[in-house]
Amino acid sequence: MSTARGPQPSGSRLEGRRAAAGWLFITPVLVILGVFLLVPVLMAAWVSVSDWTGRGSPLSGSTSFVGADNYRALVLGGGLPTQDFGMSLRNNAWYVFLVVPVQTALSLLLAVLVNRRLLRARGFFRTAFYFPSVTSSVAITVVFLFLFSASGAVNRLVGNLGANGPNWFSDARGVGHLLLGGVGVDRAPSALADHGFVGISWWDWLAGPSVAMTVFIVMAVFTTSGTFMLLFLAALQSISDEIDEAAMMDGASPWQRFSRVTLPMLRPTLFTVTTLGLIGTWQVFDQIYTGSQGGPAKTTLTPAYLSYSASFLSGQWGRGAAIAFILFAIIIVLTALQRFVLRDRGTPRRRRLVPSSSSVVPAGAAPGPATEPGGAP
Amino acid sequence: MRTTRTALTALLAGGALALTACGGSGFSDDDATTDPGTTTDEGGELTVLIGSSGDAETDAVNAAVAAWAEESGSDATVTVASDLPQQLSQGFAAGSPPDVFYVGTDNLAAYAANGSLLAYGDQLSNVDDFYPALVDNFTSGGKLYCAPKDFSTLALVINTDAWTAAGLTDAEIPTDWAGLADVAARLTTGEQVGLTFGPEYQRVGVFMAQAGGGLVSDDGATAVADSPENAEALTFVQQMLRDGALAFPSAIDSGWGGEAFGTGRAAMTIEGNWIVGALRNDFPDVKYQVVELPAGPAGQGTLQFTNCWGIATDSANQAAALDLVEFLTSTDQQAGFADAFGVMPSVQSAAEDFRSSYPEMTAFLDSADFAVGMPTAQGANDVIGDFNGQIEGLADADVAAMLASVQTNLQAVLDSQG
Amino acid sequence: MTAATAPARPTTADDARERRMRHSGRRRRIGLVLVFLMLVALTVVYVYPFLIAVATSFTTQEQSVTNPLSLVPADATTDAYQRLFLRSDFPVWLRNSVIVTTCVTIGRVFLDSLAGYALARLPFRGRRPVFAGVVAVMAVPGVVLLIPKFLVINQLGMYDSFAGLIIPLLADAAGVFIMKNFFESIPVSVEEAARIDGAGVFRTYWSVILPMARPAIVTLVILSFQGSWNELSHFIVAAQDPQLNTLTKGVAQLASGALSQGSQYPIKLAAATVMTIPVAVLFFIFQRRIMNSTAGAEKG
Repeated sequence: MSTARGPQPSGSRLEGRRAAAGWLFITPVLVILGVFLLVPVLMAAWVSVSDWTGRGSPLSGSTSFVGADNYRALVLGGGLPTQDFGMSLRNNAWYVFLVVPVQTALSLLLAVLVNRRLLRARGFFRTAFYFPSVTSSVAITVVFLFLFSASGAVNRLVGNLGANGPNWFSDARGVGHLLLGGVGVDRAPSALADHGFVGISWWDWLAGPSVAMTVFIVMAVFTTSGTFMLLFLAALQSISDEIDEAAMMDGASPWQRFSRVTLPMLRPTLFTVTTLGLIGTWQVFDQIYTGSQGGPAKTTLTPAYLSYSASFLSGQWGRGAAIAFILFAIIIVLTALQRFVLRDRGTPRRRRLVPSSSSVVPAGAAPGPATEPGGAP
Repeated sequence: MRTTRTALTALLAGGALALTACGGSGFSDDDATTDPGTTTDEGGELTVLIGSSGDAETDAVNAAVAAWAEESGSDATVTVASDLPQQLSQGFAAGSPPDVFYVGTDNLAAYAANGSLLAYGDQLSNVDDFYPALVDNFTSGGKLYCAPKDFSTLALVINTDAWTAAGLTDAEIPTDWAGLADVAARLTTGEQVGLTFGPEYQRVGVFMAQAGGGLVSDDGATAVADSPENAEALTFVQQMLRDGALAFPSAIDSGWGGEAFGTGRAAMTIEGNWIVGALRNDFPDVKYQVVELPAGPAGQGTLQFTNCWGIATDSANQAAALDLVEFLTSTDQQAGFADAFGVMPSVQSAAEDFRSSYPEMTAFLDSADFAVGMPTAQGANDVIGDFNGQIEGLADADVAAMLASVQTNLQAVLDSQG
Repeated sequence: MTAATAPARPTTADDARERRMRHSGRRRRIGLVLVFLMLVALTVVYVYPFLIAVATSFTTQEQSVTNPLSLVPADATTDAYQRLFLRSDFPVWLRNSVIVTTCVTIGRVFLDSLAGYALARLPFRGRRPVFAGVVAVMAVPGVVLLIPKFLVINQLGMYDSFAGLIIPLLADAAGVFIMKNFFESIPVSVEEAARIDGAGVFRTYWSVILPMARPAIVTLVILSFQGSWNELSHFIVAAQDPQLNTLTKGVAQLASGALSQGSQYPIKLAAATVMTIPVAVLFFIFQRRIMNSTAGAEKG
């Protein structure tokens, strides 16, 4: 250690030096985040309410303010832009609706399975399930394009079982319509066909994801279940074994132990997983860009990809920016909603006063999770 | 605390203002270059961006540009775009587009409208030599924006080995729709489908033209998509799909009609001139014959595609670019391109030579007599894209509803034209 | 557990409990075997696609269509790899990815640790709002930034250059978060000791604290490498020159049919395989750390 360089600066001067150093240290990150994250958002907001045509700077004199025209064209206009936007919303909504529950449930299942103390080769299984999450979405999309091609591995497997697999990535039929057709509803009832929302009839909203979109759903679950499995594993491992054994002693069946004891203690992690899932699934872009570019028949079009193609390919920059902001709003609203729905409502006062013999929560267990992970993003 | 917050806001506001300054400065000389007649001439290397259909085209363009570079003493580089519309739109927005690039009929209106294209048509020395139909395609607002570089039509390509194997003779080459459906059915075996072509208006449109329909009226102001003629055409294609005589390439593991044809998964395909070069390069053993498409209820019809050499308004080197374009559209150069990848010259002076040098491609050139071009209105491209999406599901689709939606969307686009 | 001393005359309750435990012992074993089998089945589902991909990259296009499920190529050939490395721009993409990933990783480690340290230990005014701002930034969905980042990069003149590819990726709010959390766990006494010995702020940071942060730095290196190697949308908008394509952008365009207009599966799968190798290698070496840190980082 070097010898003292002389009398050290006293209290406030030292503080001042450290404060200056603090600003110095944080400035590069602030500048980069500000310039490449904050300013772009402001600029996009401007472009979304302007008529910039894509040449030169959007801040130059030739671009003018057009108010909510772009937003109106998207939501109320009724023409092709509205139809495309409605289509993308429908596709993405079904994608979210299917992916988030399935990936949450599957990753929880994997975590529970891998968590068994007596299980050999736990590390191997953990690695196998997490590996897809490490690879690039482009690589996985390429692999899936091959697996699900008309004469690919999946169709060969299905063929071995006796059925005929569809031409996955080219099949635009909606799974919802197929199921409805299976129970005899072949044609759109006029009530559903005549009215619509954002340019798409209610009957088409019920079409569900297309067969092609279903492949993307499977891909999403495949790549993200590993990451969420790790989150659940960490949470499961922090639940003390004694609580579980105490519950077992009280005569609880495994299912009761799981649903009444383990699950409530996993609530924060559940919340994190579903929030991350929601945020991630509403932004799906890479896989669409690589795999299907919105086809077949626009059934894999998502708002993120539409925002890109409207701007970069069709030259409608204002519309593209407007789509991005509407998507931003959707994500925020849904995250807030989900936070509200899954919030910890606390123990109702009545139950605390009345000792319950029917509830299986064993004495000695903490009513809430022992360790609360940091607030959700 | 308050001072810190104001400091932060000041920092951000200052940053934003600085960016405005950055952005505004470089574009004050816009007005000079959009004035027709003046061209910039700062020297330096020319950048050429092309959307190539394959190695044959890339090599040919490279060779031609190199020849010009030697002759003129300037430098030029050719880049092949992986996504031409995206790269061009980014280039225009960045203010640094390539000097010379391909422009298709679908994008002309958009680029002309936002001022990215230089209208140099009046400065071309060989402007009278181009086919009038092609010149029309690239004229917007009364100004010719760019020189057509070549054109192609669609014709019927038949695998002669499969033809004879099915017991068919030359006399049975289809001349009407019934004949086409019949021949396609007879050529369909377990391994091979009779006919294939891409699920898009750019192919199905030939049937619409043959039935007497189309997308846009002659004066370009009204959409005519929702017509009984178009419905007849689409129903005919739908029937062939349902009968199994026609399959789209993706259903037979192919990326496009040419690949399906070359690999033997389809006996016939409807494609353009470019298939000649592609077959020569990738599937040299396939023997084929090109014939004019059969006539429909309203006679013969086919589609015609063309691109032009666009010059950017923001190019610093427009004089040299113009010189390059004139070189590339000269009779000799166009003959060279025809040789390399089978496109047809856009200048009438090269027609006779083409006919005598490539008798196997006569059908393509003859088809030009009854060819219809693609709609050029701004935004029509998106409507056609939507139409294509619906065509993908043609086998089960409601033809009337399909055409009705195209009609509405197309009319909306035409109405919003100034 | 009450099994240790059984009463001389077993009551019905004890009887039941003992029966339950005996059953549960057997049931446990059966349960374990079932669980193992399920896990093996799931593992096959998770791993098989990658095995098929690698195997198919060593076959021809025709083989890939006729034998899509096979793991052993009928006549193995390196055609696809030759085409990829010798007759396409793949080596350029590889070079670009390496350059970008290296620069971004080094940059992120440096900048994020500086910022994390400042937020954790240096008392400057406005520390809390800055931290809140960093957290808020983490919440902005990437899609909103797609178009405007292009506009900003454009305005700054960084478009179509390595600077445009690298600089916007340099600061990463998640990385700052990780480093801040870690630095907060280092006892203040270490710093005070260094200060007493006369070290200035930067010296304290560089020679004393940073070496102690090795685990977090390794984590940051791994996450940054993975993040920038697998990034796609930023590279799409930041450049258009094909010579600046990275692996992700190049392979994505390959997959959508750029190289040839056919569905050349062996080539595409070969490309996907090669681009996965570096992240896979990194993953297998640092497995434990990655899996532990992911759980920790994502919780916050």
